[in-house]
Amino acid sequence: MKLSLPIVVLLISGWIIAVAHATETTYQLDDPAKQKIFLELKHELRCPMCQNQTIGDSNAMIALDLKRKTFELVESGKSKQEVIDYMKARYGEFVHYKPPVTPITIWLWLLPAGFIVVAFLVMFFARRNAKSDLNEAGESPLKSEDASPQDLEEADKLLDKYK
Amino acid sequence: MKKILLFLIPLGAFIAVTGFLLKGLYSEPRYEVSVSVSKPIPDFELPDVMDPKKLYTKETFLGQKTLLNVWGVWCVTCAVELPYLTELRKQGVRIVGLYYQLNNDPDFDQKPLPQLQWEIRQMLGKHGNPYQFNMFDKDRSYGMDLGVTGAPETFLIDELGVVKVHHVGDLNTRVWKEKFSMYFGES
Repeated sequence: MKLSLPIVVLLISGWIIAVAHATETTYQLDDPAKQKIFLELKHELRCPMCQNQTIGDSNAMIALDLKRKTFELVESGKSKQEVIDYMKARYGEFVHYKPPVTPITIWLWLLPAGFIVVAFLVMFFARRNAKSDLNEAGESPLKSEDASPQDLEEADKLLDKYK
Repeated sequence: MKKILLFLIPLGAFIAVTGFLLKGLYSEPRYEVSVSVSKPIPDFELPDVMDPKKLYTKETFLGQKTLLNVWGVWCVTCAVELPYLTELRKQGVRIVGLYYQLNNDPDFDQKPLPQLQWEIRQMLGKHGNPYQFNMFDKDRSYGMDLGVTGAPETFLIDELGVVKVHHVGDLNTRVWKEKFSMYFGES
């Protein structure tokens, strides 16, 4: 039997893919509730060495270690919060993607809300000031009677001059 | 008055934003807040990488200031800092190594110990040996307790076994001056 070259290449590449797949560690928990916690944690815990990757996304050694530890802890029946606390005790708040509300971080929520409130206040007062410059009929409150006779005389002179 | 404000407010905002961005340009991009600092080091019982029958515990850090250096033969930056660490040892600084094993799964692909010991001897022979001894963190679990993210990292542990400094990255003259020298009575 003679195998054509394309078929040989296909077989070899298929074998390589199968081997590459087999070496990737997969974590499977029998209990669906635990599996759910593990999957959530995988996407909420940050790899402390990489820039902005979860331990689920990263293949850095430390991310693999944390993933394995998370798996072990969840498997042994630890709750989600207990695992997060375990990681925070070692790698700090940074390791969890959800920032805690503290006197410093509260501004992350307060500032944007504050900006909106201030913007509305500015708009409100700007409109009220613009309105108060006009009287009820919507006319300018300045009337010709308010001007002094001298001013009127001068105005007439100027008008004559540029006639 | 209004005109001056209309000029000054945007100018002030511009200067503030420029200052902020300029600071960002020169800041350290890595977030570095170590949890282990000012806490006693976690308990451990680790074997000597050269003689696994010998076990070390926390006691080994009591009574004198020690640098705990996390390293491995696979780590290129570690090779770069070894000569500097050796220099520090000559000046009388006590340095203990925490050998950080590189493998994806500690249950498998373990290098045979004699081969690892040979590689360690090779590397220390080539770049200098700053270590009193090396503790073997086979599955990197003690590293995890310390908050280690990779190698090299260096901890300064005081006479009472409390972590004073946790430095991520290589140790050199500049880092020594900035972070470590004040604990050794140098200015």
